[in-house]
Amino acid sequence: MKVPRTQPLLVEIGCEEIPARFLDGAREDFGRSLLGALQQARLLPAETSPPLWYSTPRRLTVWVPAVLTRQPDQVEEIVGPPVRVAFDSSGKPTKAAASFAAKNSVTMEALSRVATPKGEYLALRKTVRGRPAEKLLPGILANVISSLSFPKSMYWTAKGGPRFIRPIRWLLALLGEGEKARVVPFEIAGVKSGATTRGHRILGKGPLRVSGFMDYLKKLDRAGVKLDPSTRRARIQEELQVLLKGTRWRAVKDEGLLDWVVNSTEWPTGLLGRFDKRFLHLPREILVTVMRDHQKYFAIEDENGNLQPHFITLLNLDGDRQGSIRKGHERVLAARFADAEFFWEADQRESLSERAARLAQVTYQADLGSYADKVARMQAIGQEICREFQDREIFTAADTASAMRAIELSKCDLTTQMVQEFPELQGVVGGLYAWAQGEPAEVHEAIYDHYKPEGLDDGCPRSKIGVVVSLADKLDGIVGGFAIGQEPTGSSDPFGLRRQGNGIVKVLVEHSLGLPLKPLVQQAISVLNVDWKRPQHEVFGSVMDFLEERLKFYLESGRRLRYDTVRAVVAAGWESPLEAARRAEALERIRGGENFIALSVAAKRIKNILAKSATASDWQPGEVNADLLEPGPERELFEAYVGASVEAGKLAVAQEFEKALESIAALRPAVDLFFDKVLVMTEDPTLRENRLRLLGKLDALFSGIAQFAEIAG
Amino acid sequence: MVKRRRNTQRGSTKGLSFQDMLLCMSAFWSRQGCVLALPYDVEVGAGTMTPDTFLRVLGPEPWRVAYIQPSRRPADGRYGENPNRLLKHTQMQVILKPPPPDIQEIYLRSLEDLGIDLRHHDIRFEEDNWEAPTLGAWGIGWQVMLDGLEITQFTYFQQCGGFDLEPVSVELTYGLERIAAFLQGKGNVFDVRWNQATSYGEMRQEEERELSIYDFEAASQQTCRTLFELYEAEAARLLASFGSASGDRFPLRKVYDLCLKCSHLFNILDARRAISVSERVALIGRVRKLACEVARIYLDRKTVFVEVEPA
Repeated sequence: MKVPRTQPLLVEIGCEEIPARFLDGAREDFGRSLLGALQQARLLPAETSPPLWYSTPRRLTVWVPAVLTRQPDQVEEIVGPPVRVAFDSSGKPTKAAASFAAKNSVTMEALSRVATPKGEYLALRKTVRGRPAEKLLPGILANVISSLSFPKSMYWTAKGGPRFIRPIRWLLALLGEGEKARVVPFEIAGVKSGATTRGHRILGKGPLRVSGFMDYLKKLDRAGVKLDPSTRRARIQEELQVLLKGTRWRAVKDEGLLDWVVNSTEWPTGLLGRFDKRFLHLPREILVTVMRDHQKYFAIEDENGNLQPHFITLLNLDGDRQGSIRKGHERVLAARFADAEFFWEADQRESLSERAARLAQVTYQADLGSYADKVARMQAIGQEICREFQDREIFTAADTASAMRAIELSKCDLTTQMVQEFPELQGVVGGLYAWAQGEPAEVHEAIYDHYKPEGLDDGCPRSKIGVVVSLADKLDGIVGGFAIGQEPTGSSDPFGLRRQGNGIVKVLVEHSLGLPLKPLVQQAISVLNVDWKRPQHEVFGSVMDFLEERLKFYLESGRRLRYDTVRAVVAAGWESPLEAARRAEALERIRGGENFIALSVAAKRIKNILAKSATASDWQPGEVNADLLEPGPERELFEAYVGASVEAGKLAVAQEFEKALESIAALRPAVDLFFDKVLVMTEDPTLRENRLRLLGKLDALFSGIAQFAEIAG
Repeated sequence: MVKRRRNTQRGSTKGLSFQDMLLCMSAFWSRQGCVLALPYDVEVGAGTMTPDTFLRVLGPEPWRVAYIQPSRRPADGRYGENPNRLLKHTQMQVILKPPPPDIQEIYLRSLEDLGIDLRHHDIRFEEDNWEAPTLGAWGIGWQVMLDGLEITQFTYFQQCGGFDLEPVSVELTYGLERIAAFLQGKGNVFDVRWNQATSYGEMRQEEERELSIYDFEAASQQTCRTLFELYEAEAARLLASFGSASGDRFPLRKVYDLCLKCSHLFNILDARRAISVSERVALIGRVRKLACEVARIYLDRKTVFVEVEPA
């Protein structure tokens, strides 16, 4: 076979600075779209090395090592009239056949016959010559680039003009390599494609003419551009090490910041700066937030995690020969810290307790009242949780008092200048201020932690008192959101209720709290005084369904349990997320066992018999009559069932779910033998009903800890 | 030589003075074909709010303008005690409609013109999408960072007065005090040299203190609210008369001034924290309504004008 001729394709979209947070997505999207379009246009050879895609803030680049020079020829079949219509009784072509041939400008001889489900038809097979890539690519590239979509795009000429993530300023599109390389000509937004790229804004000279991918890489590297994000990442990590060599310090680990820096530089170079030690009296949280969120600096700590009066910033340049850049950054940071210090001191003039009175002026949500209203509701919900905790001897009366105090102060930091300046520090600032104002540890820690967990990877509140505040906050948030019709739908979740729901489940499970959620949701509904858009019991039902979804999500995504494990467990009921989680973990561990797999098949079979084969006239659920059991497999199964059921029941009460499941799984040989030897749907109605009742018992046993039938084989 | 060293100890004289900087930037943008407009004489929170931007970005006519605009943000007041925060700061506002394709390079040249050697500074365009809810205006762009200092807001306007823009304008808003402090290497804005003999502090510190005292303490909330309502009612009265009066006799820009007055009063009330979150949304909505009405009438009149002209 002739090897198809291929040529490499290099495409670069030159942009004004693309936002760092969208760059990874934009690169992937461009690469995949282009590949998909080439595939669809049949321009990719069957086997080829994979294309590569890269990005810097100013460019999205795709290199496809092999694009077919020409589409393969394609045989096309045009179906004409049925054969019975195309020929008359003497076998002569009819008018229908002739006009089909004429329409396709061929003679009758060129036509063939094709068998279809509807009978034999006249057909024309014709070879369509593949078109050259050169002709197809301009349209493909223009189309792929114009069709890329972004989370936030813009116009830069006029509404209705081109839309992209930022204005496109140059286009490089090269087919072939070296002297044979040719520009793929197309135009977007008045920019014509060409054979030139541009280097780094400051370090590069431009425009740079390139003749192929290797040449492109080489010229960009000389012009101050590290094209490959993974190269930049490695370089940044090395810079962080090198700058701290000889010290016992390290950069505070921060993957999000690292991603940001990788995607906002073309030539990252580290710079170590310092700040006045006096700022170290400010809490670490505030210093790190200023450095990371506002200045994009890495904070520096020693081996014990103590913050050092230094920072590292990554320049988009090759160095700071005159020291002018370091001076600039240090001055800016000092000013930022001075601001934070000012807020810290100014805020202390009014204690959190004094601020509580002002919460009535701060709106929580227009339909849900002020923060004072919210805090009152949180207290009522918190009371209910504390009562449960005291019943379970998790809490003393003093703990309840601390939790109530923490709730009372939990939202007061919203009135501080610090939180207005650094909204991401809500809760944390409240906790720090409570500490500074002499509130006891259990109170200030609970305030500090009460927005936690903010995601599946975030930690939970440290103490049970923090748990109370966190749960009360989230329960009120969810119930309130549902009550006013702001529940999450599809991709929209304006109040972040999913995150809060995940938080509730996570906290209960990870703090080993076997609280049932129902009474807490009921309490949250009963203390909510709003203009109910729908009946309260409906809201209750929706919230419980929502929490069930959150539980499933948590078990699958947070605990990495299999989809059907989670379904099986939740289908068996879930009063308390903790207990459901324990059942799910147990099931996940034993479900691979030989006995268990067979048993889940048997469980499905039993369900099938009970639901489909048998009817209400065959049986009513009830006790098995032992006297009617035939000796042998039937009696043996019943006895094994009784034993396993008692055993599993005891173990389940003791929350020994794994052992309970094992004792049930041990029924497997008895079940197998039963189905092998005993006919359930026997003629004798009394015997039949008794056997169905036995299966009913087994079904209940196989559904109690988890619905075995939900487990995929 | 000796004299010079003493001078250095007292405070470096490197970098352009504040007023030389104003001259330099004005000259630069004048060379780019910009009209040098005058600072506006009604309190504004930003250069965007003057008619030379708010109205002129509407409609199809090309427009290039640059002006210096003192801008008041009561919430940023610090009684002249904070080295970096000002209640009233100075912006250099530039509008380019339509934006030239090399606008970023032109912008960078404007920095070099001020004596900033970009080979020795870290310049970054960081995503920052600007929005002015009281004006029904928003855009996509960056904050330009110079060695970690935000020196310019660089925006491709998408909407203004609630209208999609055709063509789009680029807005450049330079924070002049910051740039001056940067150029002169000063940690405190009040130490910036205004010219050879006078400091920024001598020119403005007392004013900062007094404006802060008024906005934070002395302003009567009741009076501010009453004034807001009076200005709003006057604007509404005029707007209601539009249509009955013949179009070219309608004092559109005065209505807009009244809208700006409302916006400034709102900012004072906000700085006093006299406004709850929900009321805040409502007041912003009221100011925006005026601004959008003005924009609508401005565009309507223009259409009439354009239609009439060929005849």
